[in-house]
Amino acid sequence: MLIKRSEGKAAKQRLAQAYAGLSSGGLDRRAFLRQAGFAGAGLAALGTLAPSRVQASGAATGVADHSRPIQRIKNICTHCSVGCTVTAEVQNGVWVGQEPTWASPINRGTHCAKGAAVRELVHGDRRLKYPMKLVGGQWQRISWDVAYAEIAEKLMKVRAESGPDSVFWLGSAKFSNEGAYLYRKFAAFWGTNNVDHQARICHSTTVAGVANTWGYGAQTNSYNDIRNSKTMIIMGGNPAEAHPVSLQHLLSGKERNRANMIVIDPRFTRTAAHATEYVRIRPGTDIPVIWGMLHHIFANGWEDKEFIRQRVYGMDEIRAEVAKWTPAEVERVTGVPGEQLKKVAQTFATEKPATLIWCMGATQKTVGTANVRAFSILLLATGNVGADGTGANIFRGHCNVQGATDFGLDVGTLPAYYGLEEGAWRHWGRVWGVPFENLRDRFENVQMMGAPGIPTTRYFDAATLPKDQIQQRDRLKAMMVFGHGGNTVTRMPEAVKGLEAMELLVVADPHPTTFAVLSGRRDNTYLLPICTQFECDGSRTASNRSVQWGHKIVNPIFESKTDYEVMYRLAGALDAAAEKSGQAIRFQQDMFKPYEIKDGAPTAESILREINRGSLSTGYTGQSPERLKLHMEHQDKFDLVTLRGREGTPVANEFYGMPWPCWGPAEWKHPGSHILYNTNLHVKDGGGTFRPRFGTERNGVTLLAEGSWSKGSEIQDGYPEFTTAVLKRLGWYDELTAEEKAWIEGNGGTFSWATDLSFGVMRVAMGHGCVPYGNGKARAVAWNLPDPVPVHREPIYTPRLDLLAQYPTLPDRRGFRLPHLGQSVQARSNQVARDFPIILTSGRLVEYEGGGEETRSNKWLAELQQDMFVEINPGDAAERNIRDGQWVWVSGPENNARTRVKALVTERVGKGVAFMPFHFAGWFMGTDQRSKYPQGTDPIVLGESVNAVTTYGYDPVTFMQETKVTLCQIRAA
Amino acid sequence: MARMKFLCDSDRCIECNACVTACKNEHEVPWGINRRRVVTINDGKAGERSISMACMHCTDAPCAAVCPTSCFYTTADAIVLHDKDTCIGCGYCFYACPFGAPQYPRVGNFGTRGKMDKCTYCAGGPQADNVAAEYTQYGANRIAEGKLPICAEMCSTKALLAGDGEMIATIYRERVQKRGYGAGAWGWRTAYKETLSV
Amino acid sequence: MIARILPALALALGLGFTTPAPAQIGGPVTGIPTNPAPSGFSAEELELQKALQGGRIGGRISIPDAQAASLVQPAGRDWRAFHNVTLSWIGGIAVLGMLAIIGMFYATRGRIAIDSGRSGRTIQRFNLLERSAHWMTAGSFVVLALTGLNLTFGRWLILPIIGPDAFATITLWGKFAHNYLSFPFTLGIVLLFLLWVKDNIPNGRDVGWLKAAGGLFGHSHPPAGRFNAGQKMVFWITVIGGTLVAISGYVLIFPFWATDIAGQQLAHIVHGVISVLMIGAMLGHIYIGSVGMEGAFDAMGSGQVDLNWAKEHHSLWVEDEMKKARETIAPNAKVAGAD
Repeated sequence: MLIKRSEGKAAKQRLAQAYAGLSSGGLDRRAFLRQAGFAGAGLAALGTLAPSRVQASGAATGVADHSRPIQRIKNICTHCSVGCTVTAEVQNGVWVGQEPTWASPINRGTHCAKGAAVRELVHGDRRLKYPMKLVGGQWQRISWDVAYAEIAEKLMKVRAESGPDSVFWLGSAKFSNEGAYLYRKFAAFWGTNNVDHQARICHSTTVAGVANTWGYGAQTNSYNDIRNSKTMIIMGGNPAEAHPVSLQHLLSGKERNRANMIVIDPRFTRTAAHATEYVRIRPGTDIPVIWGMLHHIFANGWEDKEFIRQRVYGMDEIRAEVAKWTPAEVERVTGVPGEQLKKVAQTFATEKPATLIWCMGATQKTVGTANVRAFSILLLATGNVGADGTGANIFRGHCNVQGATDFGLDVGTLPAYYGLEEGAWRHWGRVWGVPFENLRDRFENVQMMGAPGIPTTRYFDAATLPKDQIQQRDRLKAMMVFGHGGNTVTRMPEAVKGLEAMELLVVADPHPTTFAVLSGRRDNTYLLPICTQFECDGSRTASNRSVQWGHKIVNPIFESKTDYEVMYRLAGALDAAAEKSGQAIRFQQDMFKPYEIKDGAPTAESILREINRGSLSTGYTGQSPERLKLHMEHQDKFDLVTLRGREGTPVANEFYGMPWPCWGPAEWKHPGSHILYNTNLHVKDGGGTFRPRFGTERNGVTLLAEGSWSKGSEIQDGYPEFTTAVLKRLGWYDELTAEEKAWIEGNGGTFSWATDLSFGVMRVAMGHGCVPYGNGKARAVAWNLPDPVPVHREPIYTPRLDLLAQYPTLPDRRGFRLPHLGQSVQARSNQVARDFPIILTSGRLVEYEGGGEETRSNKWLAELQQDMFVEINPGDAAERNIRDGQWVWVSGPENNARTRVKALVTERVGKGVAFMPFHFAGWFMGTDQRSKYPQGTDPIVLGESVNAVTTYGYDPVTFMQETKVTLCQIRAA
Repeated sequence: MARMKFLCDSDRCIECNACVTACKNEHEVPWGINRRRVVTINDGKAGERSISMACMHCTDAPCAAVCPTSCFYTTADAIVLHDKDTCIGCGYCFYACPFGAPQYPRVGNFGTRGKMDKCTYCAGGPQADNVAAEYTQYGANRIAEGKLPICAEMCSTKALLAGDGEMIATIYRERVQKRGYGAGAWGWRTAYKETLSV
Repeated sequence: MIARILPALALALGLGFTTPAPAQIGGPVTGIPTNPAPSGFSAEELELQKALQGGRIGGRISIPDAQAASLVQPAGRDWRAFHNVTLSWIGGIAVLGMLAIIGMFYATRGRIAIDSGRSGRTIQRFNLLERSAHWMTAGSFVVLALTGLNLTFGRWLILPIIGPDAFATITLWGKFAHNYLSFPFTLGIVLLFLLWVKDNIPNGRDVGWLKAAGGLFGHSHPPAGRFNAGQKMVFWITVIGGTLVAISGYVLIFPFWATDIAGQQLAHIVHGVISVLMIGAMLGHIYIGSVGMEGAFDAMGSGQVDLNWAKEHHSLWVEDEMKKARETIAPNAKVAGAD
C-alpha cells in the first residue's frame, strides 16, 4: 500500500544531501529558523549583494512585524491559466505573507498547492542569482554588461555567417502580455519567424482546430460559466490536478444544477473520482469516441437541427463519416461499451446546456487538430456553443499561454493572429511606426518573411538534419531560451545532440532549467537571471480571455532583471555588436521608440498601449492599463457566475478582465465578451456570431449564417467581415468621421475592420449592431486541413497492429521548413510492439508545473513529490514482479531510451497502460546530473524526464508533439 | 464563544494540497513536519475520496488526556493548543490521536523526538498574540487577527471548512441538500462525538 | 480491566490493520481495462463500517512519512483507555498492593532473623563482577522505574505540588535519563543472564522449596542450591521481563523504525504492563534483600555472607562450596605439611 519505510529513508537521505537545512532531521523549528538566518547571512557573504538586496532576497524570512504597517499588493498566480489573484503582504520590500483574495471572482480567496506556495518562488534560494557562463564545462559568474556584449557579438556572428533564421527565439507563456508581445516584435526586428513558445506543446492544435471551426482559437466560455452547465464532459483533461481552482466552479455547478459530470479518459484521475460517470478509453482513440457518440445522436435525432441549419456548414459530410462508427466498431477500437457511450451521448445532447472541457489529452496527439475539430463538431451538432453553460471550455496550461499565443509567440503569425502575409507586416509596421521595407530588409528575403518558422518541438532536428532537408539558409546555430524548460519536448536524447550542435545557447530564466544541464556543452552557454512576474508589472490573459493586471510585489531579487529590461539592453548590445562588426542593422532605436523608458527599461503600460493600438483583430484594444487596474481594484464588484460588474459601481456592466474581444479603444467602454459567439447579446454588450474567415460561399453553399444574428443587429442574416468596401456597398461609408476618413484615405484607402487603425470601420459596423468580423457559419468541414473531416488515425506507436492498415497515420510529408515523417515511422510499430507492450501516457501533477524547474525548487512543493514515478496497473506489476515503491526501468522504443523511476502500482491506469508525470528532470538515463547545475541552483527534487522515452510523432497542422501515446516496457531495476 | 471545528467535505476535496502548502508557507513549517496532509482512500478505484486531515481540535481531546506533563490546553474557542515549553516529546499524543496529528522534529541521537508540533488552528501558542517568540514556536496567530485558519481559507474547492461548528455544519448541510447525497463529515464522529445528520 | 486490555491488544496485534485486498485483474484488450464505474458508494458508510470494526482507515499519500497515510485510527481511543485507566489500575495495584503485602508481612513476620545467629565466619557469595552487574541493573532499574512511574502518575501526584514548569523540567530530564539508562539496564540484564543462568535452571528441589513456601511463614528452611526457587523466580522475572521491557522500550525510543502505529501502541502496552509488574516484583525483592531478612543484604553488599545465613537459606550451595573448598585446599595443605 505504501512506499516502504526503508526506501522512504533512502529518499530522505538522498534529498538530505541536496537540501540539508530542509529536513526536520536534527533540527527543531527554532534551530531551523536559526539556520535559515545563517543561510541568509551566507548570501550576504557572497559579497556584492547590497544589504537591501539581502533583505529583498527573503533572508529575513517570513516573519511579519505586526506592530508596523503591512502593504498589500495584488498580482496573478504564475502557474496555471485559471488566473488566481495572489495578495501579497509586503513589509520593507520583503514579501512576508500571503492572504486569500476573497474579492477575485475567479478564485475567491482560494489556491492550489502551487498558488499557496508562490511566495517561495520569490524567496527562493535556489534561484539563479547572477549571469553565468560556461567556460570549459565550469560555470563562471559574469556581469550583465559582459553577458550582453558577448551574447550580442555571438548572435551577430551567427547572423553574418548563417543568416537571421539560424537563431531560434524561444519565448514563454510565463511572459506577461507585454513581454510576449515585445519578444515577438524582437524576433520580427531580428528578421526571423523562428520564434515560438509553450503553446506549441500544449494547445497549438486547439487554437488551430477551433479557429478553423468558428473563428477564434480560445476557450469560448469561462470557468465561472461552467456553473451554468447541466452536463459537462471532461475529455483528455485532469483539471483537479492541472487547474485545481477550476474545480471549485465545476463542483459548485455539479451541486447547483445536479449536473452530470462525465469524465472520458484513459486514466481514473482525481477528476474522475468526482465524476457521475467515468468512461475509460484506450489512449489515442478520441475521434472514434466522439464519432461513436454522434452516431447515437444522429441515429436518435438528438442533434439540434435548427442550430445546425442556421449556424453550421458541412454537417452532412460528418454524418457520412460518423455512420461508419457503429457501436461495435467503436468498442473494437476504443474499448468503450456501446451502451455506456449511448448513455453519455444522450445525456450530452439532451440535458442542456452542456459543455465540453478538454486539455492536453486531446491536443498532444498526432491527430491533435483533428481531435479538437471533432470535439467542436460534437458541440455544434448538439447546439452547445454561444450560450450560458455551453461551449468549448478549453483549459489552457500556463498562466499566460493564452496571452502569449494571442501576441504571436508563434512561428506562423504576427501578434493577434494577423498571420505572415504582407498585409500583416504592413499593418504591424504602421503600428510600430516603421516602414514595411525596414522590416523586410531585416529578413533573409521577402519569402522568408512569409514562411512559417521552425516550431519548438523540432528545434533540435533543425540543428542536426542535413542542410538540404531544411528550407532555410542554414541550420539553427544559436538558441535564445526565455522562460522555457528543456524537458518538455519529446525525444530528449535527440535534443541533447541538437543542443550540442548549437554555437550559442542562452537561457534567460529565474532558474537554470534543464537546458543548462541536459547536454554535454562546455562553452558558449549563458544563463541570465530573469525575475518572476511577481517582481514585474504587466498584464496576463487567463484561459477565459480575461486580462488581469499584476502589480510588482517586490523588486527583482539578487541580480535578476525583468524581461523588458533584458530585451531592451540586449537590443542595445546588438547595436553595438553590429557597429563593431560593420553590419548596418540596428535594433534598439526602431523597436523601442514608442515606449516610455523608465529605470532603463520600457514600462509595461506603454507596451500595452501599443498593443491596444494594433490588436484589433482579437479585440485587444479596449483593455487599457487604466481599465485593467480599475478591475483589479474593484474585483469584488463582479458577479460570480456572469462575471458582470454590478450596477452602480465603477465597473458596472463590464465583464471581469474584459475578456477579448473587447472592441474599440478604451473610451468606447466595451464590456468585453464573456462568452464568444453569443447571439443573445448585442455586440456592444459582449455579443457575437461565428466568424467567417474562409470566404462567403463554397461550392455554391453559403458560409454565412442563415436566419441567425446577434441581438440588435440591423442586418438580420449572415454577413461578411466589414471593410471599407463593404461599408461603401451598404451606404454606411459616410458615417465615418472626417478624421477616420482622413486616416483611411491617407494610408491607402482600403482597410478592413482589423487593419483600420482609426477604428472607423469597426465603429460604424457596431453602430448598426453588427459584429465587425461578420456573421458566418461554423465549419464542420475545414477543407484547408489535411483531414477536412476528422478521421481516426492510429498513434505512431500503437499496440493495435490489427488496426494499422485500416486507420494508418498520414504519409510522410513536409511542413514548417522540415520533413515530417508519418507512415514510415508508424511501420516500426510492427517491430517494437512485442517488446514494448505497454502504452505510455504522460500528464501533470498538482504540485508541479511544466518542466518543473521552478516548482521543484520550491521547498513546500518539493516535499510533497520527492520522486519521479510511473503509474502501473497491479496486473502489469504482478506480471513483472514489481512492488509498489520499488525502482523500475521504463524504456522506450527509440534511441535505447530508458529511465529509472519508482513504481506506483495503482488502478488509476488500466491494464496495459502506464502513466508518468512530465515535470521531472535532472536525471538522464539513470544518471544524476545534479553536479552539472551551477552551485546552489539545483532544484531540490530531481528525477528522470518522461520525455527521455517519448517518441516521434507530430500533428500535421501545428507540429504538436505526441506525448500521450507511445509504447514502453517496464522492468524491475 | 464559538466552538471552532474543521470539516472536510470529501465530495469537494481533490487532493490539490493547497491546505498543506498554505500551512507551510504561513507558519514556515520545516520538512518532515506535516501539520496538515491529504490522504486518498480507495486510490484509483470507484469511491476514491481524498480527505484533508490535521488536528481536529477534538472535544475531550485524547492528546490532552494522555499527556504526561499536561501540556495541552483548550482555548475559549475550543481550540486545542499545547505549550512547547512543557512538552517533553514523549510521543504519547501521537499514539492516542485518532488522526495522526502530532508531529515531532527528529532531534539529537537515535530518533528521539523533539517537542511536538501540530496544527494550532492558526491560533499560535501561550505567548502574547503575534509576538516573534510565538511565531518562532507556533507560527502565525491568525485567530488573534480575526481570521480563520489559512488552510481552509485557501482551499481550492472550499472543501475544507473551518469556523464555528454550527456555521460550518449548516454550510455543509445546505450543500448536501443541494446535491441530494452526502459523503459524510469526515472525522466528526471521532473528534466531536457527533454525526452530522442532514 | 483485563476485558479492556484484550481488545486493545487485539487491535494492536494487527486485527485492525487496513490492508486493501489485492485487485482482481482481468485485462481484456491491451489498454482497455474495465471502468471503475462510480456507484452509489458512500464514503461515510465506509467510515462507519470501519469505525464499527475499530479498523484503521488508511490511503495513499505522496510524502515519504508512512504514518501520514493513516487517516483515522480508532485504536488510539483504546490505547488512551489503556494508558489512562488500565495501566493506572495495574500499576497502582502492583505498586500499592506489593507495598501493602510487604507492610502486612513485616507487621506479622517481622524481620527474618538468622535462626542460629551470626557465626562470625563469612563465605563469598557474589564476586565483584556479579555485584557490579547487579547494581548496574538495579541502579538503572530504580531510575527507570521512578521516571517511568512519573510519566504515568506524575501528572496527578507531582505536578499539582511543584507546578508545571518544574514538573516539565524534571520530566524532561527524566525522559533523557529513561532513554539513556536503558542501555546499562539492558547490558545488566545480559550480564546477569550469562553469569547466573546455569544456577537458575529450575529443578526438582524447587518444587519442595515452593511447597514449603520458602519457609517464609514459619521457621523451616527448605533446602536450596545457590539460588532458591524464589530467587530463581526473581531471576527469570528480571531476565524475561527485562528483555520484554527492553525490546518494547527500544521500539518506543526509535519510533516507527520497526513498526507502525499499532505496533507502537502494542509496544507501549507491553512496556507499561510488564514494567509495573516488575516494579511490584522488585519491591518484594528489595524488601527481602534488605530490611526483610537479616544478613541478606551482605550478599550484594560486601559479597560475603554469614556462614549460618548461608546454611539456613542455601544449604546445598554451602555444601557444594565446602566440597569445592576442600578439594582445592587439601592438596595445598599436603604440600604445606610436607615442609
